[in-house]
This record gives sequence, structure tokens and C-alpha cells, in this order.
Amino acid sequence: MKPRVYQLAACLLALFCLAGMFSSAQAATGAAVPSFVYPILHIPRIDVEGYGALDVNMVLENQTTLSLALSSAQPANSAVAPGATYDLHTGILDIPQLRMGANLYAVQLKSTGNNKFQVTQLTPIAVTGQASYTQMCAGCHGIDGLGGPVKVTLKNCVWCKDLTSLTNYISINMPLGNPSLCVNMCASEVATYISTAFNGGSNFPIASTLEAIEVMPAAETLRKASMQLVSRLPTQAEIDLANSGGDEGLRSAVAAMMEEPAFYERLDEIFNDMLLTDHYLYSNTPDGAINLMGAFPSARWYDPGATSGLRDATYTANRITTNDSVAREPLELINHIVKNNLPATEMLTADYFMLNGYSAKSYGITDVAFNNEWDAKEFRPARLAGIPHAGILSSLMFLNRYPSTVTNRNRARARVVYDLFLDVDILGLDGARPNGSAVDIISKAPTMENPDCVKCHSLLDPVASSFQEWNVRGKYAPPTKWYQDMFQAGFGNQSVPVNLSKTPLQWLASQVAADPRFDNAMIRIIYKGLTGEEPLESPGASATTAETEAYMAESSMLDAAKAQYRAENRNLKTLIREIILSPHWRADGLKDTGFALVHADTGAARILTPEMMHRKLNALFGFEWRGPLDAYSTNKNLAISARLLEPKLYFEQIYGGIDSFNVSERPTDPNGLMANVQERMANEMACYAVPNDFLAGATSRRLFPYVETSTTLLDAQGQAAVMANLQHLHHYLLGEDLALDSAELAYTYQLFATVLQDGQSRLASKVETAALPARCVRTKDMLTGVALNTAGLTTDPNYVVRSWMAVVAYLLADYRFVYE
Amino acid sequence: MKRRTFLNALAGVCVSNVLPMSLTPAFGATPDRFLITITAAGGWDPTAFVDPKGSALRADGRGPINNYSASDIRSAGNLIYAAYPSSVLPVASDSPGHMDNFFAKHYQRLLVINGVDAQTTSHVSGSRFMWSGRIEEGFPSVGALVAAPYAGQPMAYISTGGYDYTASLVSPVKTATPATFAALAYPNSQYADSVKNRKLSYFNDSAYSAVQAARDARLARLQSSESLPKRLEQMQQLELARSSDEQLQSLLANLPATVSASVKGQAEVAVAAFASGLAASANMYVDGFDTHAGNDTRQAQSLTILFECIDHLWTQIEKAGLQNKVTILIGSDFGRTPFYNTAGGKDHWNVTTVMAMGAGITGNRVIGATSANFDALKINPSTLETHSEGIFITPKHIHRALRDFIGVSPELDRQFPIVAEPLALFI
Repeated sequence: MKPRVYQLAACLLALFCLAGMFSSAQAATGAAVPSFVYPILHIPRIDVEGYGALDVNMVLENQTTLSLALSSAQPANSAVAPGATYDLHTGILDIPQLRMGANLYAVQLKSTGNNKFQVTQLTPIAVTGQASYTQMCAGCHGIDGLGGPVKVTLKNCVWCKDLTSLTNYISINMPLGNPSLCVNMCASEVATYISTAFNGGSNFPIASTLEAIEVMPAAETLRKASMQLVSRLPTQAEIDLANSGGDEGLRSAVAAMMEEPAFYERLDEIFNDMLLTDHYLYSNTPDGAINLMGAFPSARWYDPGATSGLRDATYTANRITTNDSVAREPLELINHIVKNNLPATEMLTADYFMLNGYSAKSYGITDVAFNNEWDAKEFRPARLAGIPHAGILSSLMFLNRYPSTVTNRNRARARVVYDLFLDVDILGLDGARPNGSAVDIISKAPTMENPDCVKCHSLLDPVASSFQEWNVRGKYAPPTKWYQDMFQAGFGNQSVPVNLSKTPLQWLASQVAADPRFDNAMIRIIYKGLTGEEPLESPGASATTAETEAYMAESSMLDAAKAQYRAENRNLKTLIREIILSPHWRADGLKDTGFALVHADTGAARILTPEMMHRKLNALFGFEWRGPLDAYSTNKNLAISARLLEPKLYFEQIYGGIDSFNVSERPTDPNGLMANVQERMANEMACYAVPNDFLAGATSRRLFPYVETSTTLLDAQGQAAVMANLQHLHHYLLGEDLALDSAELAYTYQLFATVLQDGQSRLASKVETAALPARCVRTKDMLTGVALNTAGLTTDPNYVVRSWMAVVAYLLADYRFVYE
Repeated sequence: MKRRTFLNALAGVCVSNVLPMSLTPAFGATPDRFLITITAAGGWDPTAFVDPKGSALRADGRGPINNYSASDIRSAGNLIYAAYPSSVLPVASDSPGHMDNFFAKHYQRLLVINGVDAQTTSHVSGSRFMWSGRIEEGFPSVGALVAAPYAGQPMAYISTGGYDYTASLVSPVKTATPATFAALAYPNSQYADSVKNRKLSYFNDSAYSAVQAARDARLARLQSSESLPKRLEQMQQLELARSSDEQLQSLLANLPATVSASVKGQAEVAVAAFASGLAASANMYVDGFDTHAGNDTRQAQSLTILFECIDHLWTQIEKAGLQNKVTILIGSDFGRTPFYNTAGGKDHWNVTTVMAMGAGITGNRVIGATSANFDALKINPSTLETHSEGIFITPKHIHRALRDFIGVSPELDRQFPIVAEPLALFI
């Protein structure tokens, strides 16, 4: 595609193939080296006589002749050092150092008139550390530092922010399995190379990438955030705050939402999607948590015994509540941390765990003062005597959800620690594991002696050994001796200090919490929770330009959120707030469709989970999807009636729910069954909600503030009222603000008119009667089940109710309703 | 850690993302080879049916293995089976679940593998080993492996219980009640599960057509004006998903007019799903075999249910003309002790039996054996005859043979390896 480039300089393959490599958040802080990212040559500052200091962009016009044209020139940041010179007399533009991919070049261009230039010299510049990097690092991280086969990028990496940290990290840890290969000078030179070659470019591709995003207005953002975080519509006061206060107003409104109890339900879901400890909830595994408490004699404190004849409804209720209180302990720790604005790291370093009155009885703990020991929502910190708590890591639920065996020796747990709390896929570090024919049967301890094994096990096994005080089923049972044919307790190349050798898990927790990768792990969890998808992975060696630019832009956004989160004491609320405020989360379109490939994954729209849909319906209609409203007073108390929460009789599992064990991943796209669930939901909820709303008083109507069951289209007044109500429904249900004369509203009006006209004809011809469908009629109070004082709503003599049902059913199955 | 892939455009459910692309058939491809696994949950007693021992007292003083005489042991072709103990009131003699009827009718298609060493007496581990072929955690059930290439189908893997871990290869559909599917197949019906009242709808036909046409037109308008690629792709996926609702009606069309209750209903749904091209594998689940007390009566009761279920399942398969496409594997967590406890029950024992029938299975065969004390005997892996220097048959051997027989893809076989001597169990 670019033969001339190869002819001029074979090593310049990277010039045009590795476009997009120089953008990084770090670069935005003032690095001044000119860069080429296909097809733009960017000079952050060049001083030109008569023009002053300019920030210049040139675009490559001809790949064969290597000619470029000036595309923009604006005043440069005076804090940036000049990176090129231009001689007005000779027309020669001299760039002593131009970054292209991982390489540096000395470049000279000559003016050919009309603001065009042609490359006349292109000379590679040797960079200290490059040879060592190529020899020892590029195999994993890629020659371009973008991740290579293991997809661990060195672009903007956690240690790349300062040279000293990076040098130390390389000295101690790299290359994996044999860090003695590169220490001192070698480490310093490689660090310098990584810092300059991969982290010193210009940020202009990020800026232009982000600018291409059309950001949704504040009120729309607020509605979306409100539904996501607290499953309700924003209040008018919150809308006013967001509209008048700009981003700061939006921040304030979102921050206030995170003080509501509903937010913590959502937080449970976000973290459980990663921890998966809800596997032990009674609804997923009957007695799942209690069955793990063999070491606690009063675990089943609520049970009077099978032969007592006293196993009544209270027993059943206490049994379920106690089980779920025990099961939710790790998630309640996270809630406690977030509620109290504690640093996220405390989920590992907490020297306590969380109990309510029910689980306290099971653990036999009596020294915790509860305001109400029968309030299942009142969780408080507590300690088990003699147990060195290490936050989630020492949780009975965590240790059983990720159990071990005598041969596994906690390695599975160690893998999970790396995955969940360090954002490192340890199994992906060195490609495929050895197959059956490559198992080392010669070494006495292959994991310590065979270099192929040591690469991963030198990381994995110290963490695994740090769990040695807990047995395979999560009981605290310090061993009399630990295996000597594996790496001993530690983290990275550090061993547990001798004076802490009795509490290695606590020490490990502190080390992981102090590791900068812990923050990346939190970003991953929160981002996935808010968007349904994980952050883009490092693009790797075979990435396209668009993939690289997309990664750069997204990681830049996430870095900014991370910086704020760190500045605010690692408060997860900050992270949530900043991601919601980000252009990626608020993306509402593209200003420039030329960025379509780069922004292929941008945006936070997601299909609602069954739990989110369940709550959304309740928020909008004031009742849940549980069948006809005349039976609601009974159904509202039955777990098995919730259409979107019940997995066997109804649709929870079909609609993408997880059981945190067999099904642990949520779908990102609907399948045929899910589409049918949406359709049934729309039809049923329209059937229930429309008569219910017409029964309500004028001031408490949610759906029909402008019309009555007698409002038809016979006159202009009726037509206007219907149109106003349609406008209201589009706003209320879909968040769309449509003008009365909009085409979209006209389409919905047409649907209403069609159904109404056809229905009235059917009434006239007696093909259909005035009776409402049986499951839609209302004769009883929804909450009490008592017969209504009024006649209720059982007939529809004008066919108006059914016409509105059609409109509401139409809107409830809309993309903008089932996605949020 | 799994990261989403860039420009991910897979159809169907997201769990198929982890599949190698070579395993993902073209969207809409339907399976034509099916597997049903039936779990006899709790640990069945093979000596109560296909590995009978009789009432001779054990030399160790633990009493008899069974409460029927060895002389009452019955046979059907090459299969032998137990008599009902005198203390047990068998099911009616015309029931398809009565052992005389069941074996007389099905022995020619039944393969019995006796003397299987489950290597555990833990329900959790035993169930995992029996249905995944690995006793460790993290290995998908064989049903999930068979369904994985069809993960894009809305109900590729139906599971109504038992070990159904999928390793996220495919999402198991656990709702197998016909009423639920009817509700989804006829979303405009107020009483979808009643054939008689199904026509009572929320909207009359013309109104509903107008709603659906308006929805389709609206989605098309949204797509035409959408500039954000991710949302556009989501809209396209939604449109695609909405286009597949005819499949569910096909499922219902393949169900009997009146769907049976309980496990027989599970059988009807599974076969109808196969016939509709919606599913590739199904787990069925019959409980009641954990007989620590009253072993003889409760085993007989549970076996009756199981045999009636198998008989009913086979009838459904034949009605659907799928007898050359559906393979059935029947097993349990482990076996039960070759002696009774003080409650007349039997506790956990590692020796058990596996049965198979259906497509590709040569019936009227018994492989493997146990001693007079119901200990597993070794077999020669080449001849499959008992041999003191041979090997014990374990669930991993059964799965190794089953995978090779039913054609689990090489990619998945490598991803979730089972290393065991190849035995020609399924021919």
C-alpha cells in the first residue's frame, strides 16, 4: 500500500502503520517532540520569524513523494520548547527529533511553495535502551509498546509516570522470571526508552477524537444517571441544578443520588458482577452461605429442629434472611466503605467484616451494638476473635467462591486476586500453558526452577502462599508447615517481612492496595458496571489505527477520572461521578462521522438487566411487573410473581439474569427470547398501567395529565390534548423532548388515530365490545385488594383506553426504553 | 480477565464471545445432532436395577446387598435387572416404568456400563465428575460443550437441573415450563398457556398489527438518524432479535396439545426444541435417589419415575422422527453402599452405573462389572472385558469416549481437556 515508504527507509514501516501511537495523557502535560501519526505531522512549537511561536499541523498528501501540506497553524504554548526550526530564506524545515512509532528520526523538509513541503532527509536516531528493550521486552509488550501478544501496554502504564518508579520496577520485576537480566543501568536505560518512545508524544489525536463526540445535554445525562444509579426519574430540583450549574451542577446532583439507599442496591450489582459471591444467596443456592459455616456452632440459630414442630413461617423467614446476610457480607463491606467515603483500598485492608443482627447470631458475635438487631439492612463492622481480617480476601464467601485444593495450593485464589484487584490476567501473561507433552517431569520443583514456569509462578505463588492460613474451604486454620516446593508468601519480588509472617494475608492486602494497578482494577469494575462492557484492552501489535486511537482516547478519559478519584481519597463515588460526566459515557452521537471506526464502542447505552428493567418499570408506573393489578395486593409480596426477578417460572434468566455461578456473564445484545420478553412486558404493562392511570386523580396522573377516557379526536380541542399527551409520554417514558410539530410525534399520533378509528368501527359493528380485556380491568385497590368505592374501570365505550394502551405498548418496546 | 474485542459484532448472546470463531456456525444455523443427559439426583442404587446382587449375606457380617433373592433376578436380552424386593409395592404392572415393561421394551437400545468408579462420595464432586468428566471445578458439562457451537440460538442448552456449568460457553435456559414459552410465543395473548383461551388478546389483530408496524418503522427511523456506531449496532441487533419470534411458535407447534407435568413435560419441551432447531442439548433431572433411609421403597419409586420419563422421552423422540439424531446419557452422582444402614437406607458409595441409548448407541450390551460385594472391577481397555491388570472405568473414560463419539469440537476438547484411555464404549 505504501511501497515508496519502504523504498526510502525500510525501518519506517511504523511511520504509516503505527499511526495514533503518540497520544497519551502524560503527553498533554507539555512534551514538545514533534510527532508523526498518519497522516498528521504535528509540531507542538516552531518559532518562525515574523510569525512567532506556532503550533503546526501538516498532513501527508502523497505517500509516494512524501509531500505534506500545512493544514493548521496556531499560537503555541509558550511553556513548550521549540521542536523544529524553519529557515525562511532556504525554505528548509528542520526537525532534529521526530517520533514515529517507537522510533526517532532526524527529518528535513523543503518548502515547494503554496504551504507544501517535501521530505528530503530521513535519518534514524539511535535511542539509549532501545536495543535492550527490543531484546528483552518487545517479545511480550510489542516493538511499539502497545501490548504485543500479552496485551499489556507500556503506553501510559501505571509505572510510566515517573522514571524512578519505572526504573525500580524494571530492576525488581522484569523480565518476568529472570529480573536479574536487567538491573541498574540496563533498567534505567530501558525505562528511559519506554518513557520517551512510548510516553512522550503529543496529545492532539486524543483531543480531536474526543471533540468528535456529541455530548448529551445535562438534563438527559441526569435522567440516564438517575435511572442507572437510583432507578428513578430525577426531581425537578435536580434537573434545575444540572441545567443551571453546568457540569458542576450535574456533579452535585449525581453526588447526592449516591447518598440514597437505592444506589447501594445498584452498587451491590456492580460489584457482584465481578465478585460473584451472590452465588450464595438463598435464591441462587438454598442455604448456600449457611452451609459454609460448619465452624460456627450457632450458624443455624433460627432452627428449632426438624422434630420440634416449631418450624413455622418465622423460621423460614429467619433462615432466608440469615443466609442472605451472611452471603452479602463482602458486598456490604464495599457498601460500608462507599457510604462512609473511605478509600476503596479498605475493601482489602479492612481489619473487620460486616454483620447485621441475623448474621451476628450465626457467627456467635454478641459485642456489636445494633440499633435494631432485626433490621436486616443494618450492617456494622465487627471482628472475629483471633482472626486476622483482610477485607474481602479473608471473607468466608470469597474464599469459598474461589476455593482451593491440596494440589492447587491457593493458586486459583491468587489468580482471582490478580484479576479482580490488580487488573492482571495472569493466565494471559505468557500465552498458552504447556500442553501434556511439555510438562516438566525432570525438575524437582518446576514452578521454581523451569524458567517457562517461573515467569508466571513467580508472581502467582507468593500470593497463593499468602493465603496459607486459610484452608481449602475458607476456615482460618494456620498450617504447622507450608509447602517448600513453591515460592513463599510475598508479592512480586518482596517476601512477607519476618515480623508479619503470622499474618501474611493482611500484609498481602496492604501490598495490593498500595499497588497502582489496584486503581485500574477499580476503574475496570466501575466502568463495566456503568456501561455493561469492560474498558478497551490494550490494542496490541496488530491493532488498526482506529483501534489504537480509540484506546488512547478512552484510556485518557479514564486516567482523568482516576486522577480525580485518587485526589479524593480513592472514593469510588468520585470514580462513578467522573465516568458519568465523561464524554464517553455521555456520548449522544458523532459530530464527524469520519470518526465512526474510532468510536465504534463509544457510549454507555446498554440493554437493561432484568433487575434494572424491573426497577425502571416500578419507577415509572408505581408498580412492578407482577401480573394484573386486581391481584397485585397479593402478588406484590410473592417472590415468585416478579416477572423479571424469577428465573424458573418467568423471565429473569431468559432476560439475561445471572446466578453468579453457572451464568456469570450478562448478555450485551438481546436474543429472540429476550425480544419476546420485551414485547410481552410492553403489552402487559400497557394493559395494567393505562386503566390504572385513568383511575388516578388528575394531580397524580403519571401518564395522562392532558386527556380523559372521553377525549377523542372529533374536535380540535381533543386533537390538541391528545398531541400534548403524546408529547408528555415521549418525554416521560423515553426521555425524548419532541416539538408538537415534530414528525416523530405525528407518527405516534397516527398510531393512536388508527387504533381509535378502527376500534370505534369495531364497536359500531359489534365485532368488539366495550369491555376491556379481562386482565386489564380494575375493580380492586391495587395495594389492599379491597373493592374500589367507584365502579373502577372495566369498560371502554369510546375505545380510547385501548388506543392509549396501543401507544404505551408501542413506546415500552422501543429501543430507547429497553436500552438505557 | 476477558476483555471485549474491538468491533465485536457477534449475533446472539454475549456468552458466545468466548468461542473460537471456527466454532460459531453461521447465524441461524440449526443443530442436527442432539444430546440429552438425565440426572438421577442423589446417587442411585445400581443393585436395585441393572447391577443386581441378591440377598446373600456378605462375609463381613454387614448383611445382604439386596432384599430380593438372586434367583429372582430377571433378564431382557443380554441385560439383567433386579426384582422388586418383597417389601416394595411396585408400580402397576402396566406402567411403562415397571422394570419388566421398561427393560422388555428398551433393552435392545440400552447400553449399560457397570462398575463405574465415581472416585468420590460427595454429591457436588460426584455430579460434577459425572457430567463434565472432570472432578475439578471449572469444566463445562458435556451438554454445554455440545450446545456451545449453537450459542446464538435462543435456547441452545436447556437445563432443568443437575450439573449445568457452562464456563460461559453458552447460556443455559433453565426455564423449561411450556407456559413460559407460550407466554413468549404469544405475547399478545392474555392466556397464552391455554390453547382454548389463547385467542383472548390484549389487542385485536388489526390494532396489534398497527402497533408492530409502528414499532418496526420507528426502529428503522432511529437507525437512519443514529450517528453513534454502538447504538446503531444495538438497534440492528434488536431488529435481528425481533425477527426470530417464529421459532418459538414452531416450538409450541411441536409440543403435544396438552403438555405433561413434571419431568415428562421437560422431555416434551426438550424434544420440541430439538425439532424446532432451537436447542442442541438438554439436561433432565429426576430427584429422590439420596435414600439414606427406606432405600428399597424410595429407590423403586424414583426408578419408576425415571423409567417412565425415559419411556416417555423416547416416545416423543420417535414421534418427532429424531431417533437417529438424539443420544441419551443417564447417570447419577455415585452409587449406594452394598449394605443397609439401621434405617433401612443405604449411604454413599463410589461405584455406580451409567446407561446410554439412542442415536449411535448399540443396545443390548453390558460393559464393565462389579464383584459380588459391589466393588468395581477393572477391565481390559482394548477388549472391555474384566481383567485384573486392567483399568477402572471412571467418568473421565466415559466422557472421553462420549466426546469422541458425539463430536465435541477439537477446540473445545483442547480448551477443556480430558486425558484418559480411549474405550470403545459408544459404537
